[in-house]
Amino acid sequence: MSHAEQAELGTEQHGLTIRQYLMIGAALTVITIIELAVSYSDLGDAMVPILLILSAVKFVVVVAYFMHLRFDAPIFTRMFVGSFFLALAILIALVSLFWADDHRLPLG
Amino acid sequence: MATVAGTLARPANVGVWSWVTTVDHKRIGVLYGITAFSFLLWGGVQALLIRTQLAVPNGTVIDAERFNQLFTMHALTMIFLAVMPLGAAFFNFLTPLMIGARDVAFPRLNALSYWVYLGGGLLLTSSFFWDAPSAGWFNYTPLSNETYTADMGIDFYVVGLLILGTSSLMAALNFCVTIINMRAPGLTMMRLPVFVWMTLIISFLLVLALPPLTVGLIQLLFDRNWETNFFVAEQGGDPILWQHLFWVFGHPEVYILILPAMGIVSEVLPVFSRKPLFGYPAVVFAGVAIAFLGWAVWAHHMFTTGMGTVPRTVFAANTMVIAVPTGIKIFNWIGTLYGGSIRFNTAMLFSVAFIVTFTIGGISGVMHASPPVDSQHQDSYFVVAHIHYVLFGGAVMGIFSGIYYWFPKMTGRFLGEGLGKMHFWLMFIGLNMTFFPMHFLGLAGMPRRIYTYDQGLDWGFWNMFATIGSFVIGISIIVFVWNFFRSMQQPKTAPDNPWDAATLEWATSSPPPEHDFDVVPTVRARDPLWHDRDHNIERPEPTGEHIHMPPPSYYPILMASGVLLMGLGPLSHLALTALGAVVVVYSIWGWALEPTD
Amino acid sequence: MAHAATGHAPAHHPTNTGTDNRKLLMWFFLGSECLFFGSLIATYLIFKGDSIVGPFPHPHGDEHGILDIPLTSTSTFVLLMSSVTMVLAVYGAQHNLPKMMKLSLLATVLLGIGFLGFQVYEFRHFAHEGLTLSTNIFGATFYVMTGFHGTHVAVGVLYLSSLLLGSFRRSGLGPETGFHVETAGLYWHFVDIVWIVIFTVVYLIPD
Repeated sequence: MSHAEQAELGTEQHGLTIRQYLMIGAALTVITIIELAVSYSDLGDAMVPILLILSAVKFVVVVAYFMHLRFDAPIFTRMFVGSFFLALAILIALVSLFWADDHRLPLG
Repeated sequence: MATVAGTLARPANVGVWSWVTTVDHKRIGVLYGITAFSFLLWGGVQALLIRTQLAVPNGTVIDAERFNQLFTMHALTMIFLAVMPLGAAFFNFLTPLMIGARDVAFPRLNALSYWVYLGGGLLLTSSFFWDAPSAGWFNYTPLSNETYTADMGIDFYVVGLLILGTSSLMAALNFCVTIINMRAPGLTMMRLPVFVWMTLIISFLLVLALPPLTVGLIQLLFDRNWETNFFVAEQGGDPILWQHLFWVFGHPEVYILILPAMGIVSEVLPVFSRKPLFGYPAVVFAGVAIAFLGWAVWAHHMFTTGMGTVPRTVFAANTMVIAVPTGIKIFNWIGTLYGGSIRFNTAMLFSVAFIVTFTIGGISGVMHASPPVDSQHQDSYFVVAHIHYVLFGGAVMGIFSGIYYWFPKMTGRFLGEGLGKMHFWLMFIGLNMTFFPMHFLGLAGMPRRIYTYDQGLDWGFWNMFATIGSFVIGISIIVFVWNFFRSMQQPKTAPDNPWDAATLEWATSSPPPEHDFDVVPTVRARDPLWHDRDHNIERPEPTGEHIHMPPPSYYPILMASGVLLMGLGPLSHLALTALGAVVVVYSIWGWALEPTD
Repeated sequence: MAHAATGHAPAHHPTNTGTDNRKLLMWFFLGSECLFFGSLIATYLIFKGDSIVGPFPHPHGDEHGILDIPLTSTSTFVLLMSSVTMVLAVYGAQHNLPKMMKLSLLATVLLGIGFLGFQVYEFRHFAHEGLTLSTNIFGATFYVMTGFHGTHVAVGVLYLSSLLLGSFRRSGLGPETGFHVETAGLYWHFVDIVWIVIFTVVYLIPD
């Protein structure tokens, strides 16, 4: 496909090279192994935040590079990030409403 | 025309089959409109039965079980089968015309949305032949658990809403893409007609609000049929979770119902005041703000469940804040009227009445935002009064305004003004007679959803008054139907732009040709037709070139029948779900391979 | 898929944002899916650790947890690798490398089927241990959430297989093929990131 055709179709890619994709795959694998190690270790209260941060890193890398959001039209990023944070906000609100009952959080 | 191996032959372009296979947004809009209006009539009959039963103390017209089914189905019919699809009828017919496009982004997907809606609507309504849902439209657990409602009614509710949700989701995705990507040259977002803005906003809301409901419905389906315990407290579940999932959807849903009407009113008022909408950016941003804040208020439906002080305060404050953008809109509409040279025809009367009755409903809504007040109003007729002032006084009045306003564009004919005004006044008087006394009844302690009440409670007078009002509304609808059929027998005399309106749908013939515009218009200002008129810009002549329109297709209705079969599975035998899935997959393949040029 | 099969590229009207309608549709749909899985995961979290009777997911008192974390780590790795092959398929489709595209698509489909195989094995193993939908709230939340994720994987396998079959219907790659593979890839990667979250929430974080 010629460059001009790609531009016309709006599919022009500024993606990565094959080598870079493979490197990212390797990095994701390494993070997963670290996660496993953390889950078997005895880190106490620090464990859950560490796990959440590590999986958030994986999440962002897949979305940014494999799904091309890093290089693609901004409207896609706005849409997806907006929806994601709405989902996250509702999740946090729901979970804290219920956990307030279970764990006697000071919500009154 | 060449067919590809494995795809169905091309349907013809005339007769009944042309409607079954149509992908034209205008025809789909008409199908939505006719279907939704039929459901509106059926929901009205249910309402009259309810009002007849409640007219006098110790009424004996219908028994308690049937009464429960009627108030549940009345709400489901009106919300999901009448008002939402009437909004869909408008935005199907009008959005491409208003943005200067020849069709929506995905014409076949649009047809699929309609047929899935029809299937879901018929399935839900057919429940009257077996067991209709009877646990209220928000269907709270544990009442809707298998333990307390063993009959199939709740399963009809779950499956019906899942199917209707699928339909709405597909339509909403389609309109998001259409409005963002298919606008005519020069039509920037801040030049979009307000109605199109409201369509975009409700499409976003539907895309994001339907999934929580879907999850809740799936969990309820599993609880009832496959012994899970999501909502069973004894087994570690929690019935309150259903309330949360339902209202996370349910509150945005309220705005999904009202915003199309607000869009219609924002189109009608400027045209019949002969001046541009006052504060266009404020109206648009107020709509966006309502949609945004609408996500953070759902638990105000649940103040009496004991959430704790902090959540109650947060949700109460957010709810009160929503009154601000709503108030901005109302002031802007009044600002539009102020100083205008007003023509009081039927469309305008409905729009002006909308402002009044919607404001009454809005104010009682702000009262509920306060938890102590809400605790008094909860489950009383005061709430019934509130919801009907916003849904009937708001959404339905707005929709009728739109029907009178766009009828010439849709059919090439005018609705009669004499009968129209009679319709308006009967409906306006009837709605206030019916719903205003419900405020008194609620404050006097009458709970909603009771099938009868005793003589000594002193609720008889206002109940009789409300029942008389409801029949006045019924008569007004008969006047409208009469007006409709009488108008349809007239010749098509409507000019392109009979009201001297400003938006693009009036820049083509009435009714528009299949391809909408001979030449795709160029937009130079926010009110394009007024701008072109004032600057003596002529509409470009047709070039006579062939305009390619997407051909009709059998696949939407075929796939919709597959979706319906999948839904019938949980109600009868799961083999039907598997069969339906096969039909859906076959349709997707045929759909993908079908040539679209 | 459609136009690769029939050999006709549709007329491309320029859009206001310069993006293709179908790709925009897919992104909106994925936004909707965020809320869908967000609600399922929220339900899981609300009830996490609330089961009254066993089997429990993680060690509970003197009872062992029934989650097999090494096994699921393997299936997680399989799904992760399928994302890598998917991105290579998109690369092949967009750079006119039909062989690479087909092989990578095939690998993605096979890895997807592999993941589903692990899930079937896991479900059967749990059922054998006495965990059903009705045993406790863990059973309900776990089976429904991971079941819907698995259904998404299965749909993705079907979607990618259709593209793979379609790609054999003509020689070379039409201008639309890159497009369809990319859009399918978005769906596939999304299913993968949902699993990233589920894996952490269910398997790694103890009750």
